[in-house]
Amino acid sequence: MNNNLLLRMEDLVNNPTARVPVCLCLDVSGSMFGEPISELNRGVQLFYNAIKDDEVAMYSAEICIVTFGGNDAICLEDFASLELQPDPPVLKANGMTPMGEAVNMALNLLEQRKNEYKDKGVDYYQPWLVLMTDGEPNGNSGELSRAIQRTVDLVNSRKLTIFPIGIGQEADMSTLAKFSPNRAPLKLQGLKFREFFSWLSKSVSKTSQSTPGECVKLDVEGIKGWGEL
Amino acid sequence: MWNTIQCAVQGRGHIKTETPCQDKTYALFKNDIYAIALADGAGSAKMSHYGAEYVTKQICEVLTDDFDMYYAEEDGSAIKRKIVNDLIDGLQKIAINYGCDIKELASTLLVAAVKDDKYILIHIGDGVIGYLKDDEIKIASHPENGEFVNTTVFVTSRDVLHTMKIIKGKLGNIHGFALMSDGTETSFYNKKDKLLAPALKKLMKLSQIMEVSCLERETMKSFENIIKNNTTDDCSIILLVEEDYSFHGYNLLPRKEKEIMLGYSNALLSKKRMQRFGEILNFLVFPNTLFSVSRKIYLKKKYTMKYIDVLLEQNLIVKNKEIYQTAVIMEK
Repeated sequence: MNNNLLLRMEDLVNNPTARVPVCLCLDVSGSMFGEPISELNRGVQLFYNAIKDDEVAMYSAEICIVTFGGNDAICLEDFASLELQPDPPVLKANGMTPMGEAVNMALNLLEQRKNEYKDKGVDYYQPWLVLMTDGEPNGNSGELSRAIQRTVDLVNSRKLTIFPIGIGQEADMSTLAKFSPNRAPLKLQGLKFREFFSWLSKSVSKTSQSTPGECVKLDVEGIKGWGEL
Repeated sequence: MWNTIQCAVQGRGHIKTETPCQDKTYALFKNDIYAIALADGAGSAKMSHYGAEYVTKQICEVLTDDFDMYYAEEDGSAIKRKIVNDLIDGLQKIAINYGCDIKELASTLLVAAVKDDKYILIHIGDGVIGYLKDDEIKIASHPENGEFVNTTVFVTSRDVLHTMKIIKGKLGNIHGFALMSDGTETSFYNKKDKLLAPALKKLMKLSQIMEVSCLERETMKSFENIIKNNTTDDCSIILLVEEDYSFHGYNLLPRKEKEIMLGYSNALLSKKRMQRFGEILNFLVFPNTLFSVSRKIYLKKKYTMKYIDVLLEQNLIVKNKEIYQTAVIMEK
């Protein structure tokens, strides 16, 4: 205790750090087998490491990973800070591309987490959804339309930021575009996952330190290095 | 008589980016009216510190010029429109002077004004307004954030009138008001339970027994060393507290009240020890070292230090490097 100061820790309140929820919604269908899934795993690992290296982002970023492959969407990691959940899961490729189901699951988890924040009095920033695919969705078409509509509504009401990313030549860019009313989807150059996740971690760090009225400008120049607009 | 205590410190984030402190506070006593204001300039607006400075000064001028007119007006919407229009007109002129858009001058605004037994409060955006009533700290106005933490409403926002709050009333047992920016909120406002920290009552009560300049200096030290480490944002606070008319200085207090002030309300304090505390406090009206205090009261340094520690703990003296000085008013 420092009794040379008028105010002491016991006179103050301790509010939790404001959170930046980030959901990675990742395609792990059979076509991602081999080099693509290995590069994706390395990219996600780099993202985790970069967030952990940042004093503020470490406690504010909460990452959730939903994958779509096999026959269904799976939540591999629910929202938690990297202090509690320091290592990413290992992604394995196989099966189909049920993208709609995965996005709906991601949005449900996001909604649930926001309610938990509100209950506990935790402030939060606008959530981010990163949607990555190398192919065409082949799950339930009704689920896909519902996922698109829900995402578009959230983006239009400024309740969500989405980054739709196409991987390789076979990525269905027109479906990805439907998820993003304001920004065209990005096509990843080759398998430059690491460049993307490095950029993403920097953007999360910047957001976690922003104050009211500070609209965090996403560095589009930085994106050009790894993607195509 | 009401005292004002104010303090604004540049946040760690702004030190890093070499952005000036965008939190501004202002106090004005004119026409028997006390007015205090605080504004937090918008993070992304480059000139928001100028906007914040202007709106704090202007609103204090307006309320000290026309308090009765604003208080008498029953139509709250009309008052809100008048206040905002007046501020926007002024901001527009400043924007022309600086050659910038009015949005670059965006800031929140919190205000308290007191005349006789009446008060007016105004709140636009985040930050929090607290008050001291019946010896308890209460909240007059909570922060107005959007759903997300980095969104709020500013004086220049299109929808400002929808969320702007104005409150008026009779003081009754209210003896103080506190305006805080969102940076200060982090340490002073429990977001889950929506309660204010004990620190606020401590500052308000100290303002009734301490020299204002000393309290301001010490508050600034605490903000620089503790409050600003709990956030990256600028932190500011301004208090308006009514004098305790029954307090005429430590020397004139009855024994029981001296014991309470020394933190001995439940413990026995001998006449000799009580006398020593008094001697030290009177001696340290002029800043001095531990060695000098020890010589003055004819007590070894290590025993003198025990007295000094109690006085520091109770905020009755302050320490700056190795020099001690009495903070409590001894006689007035």
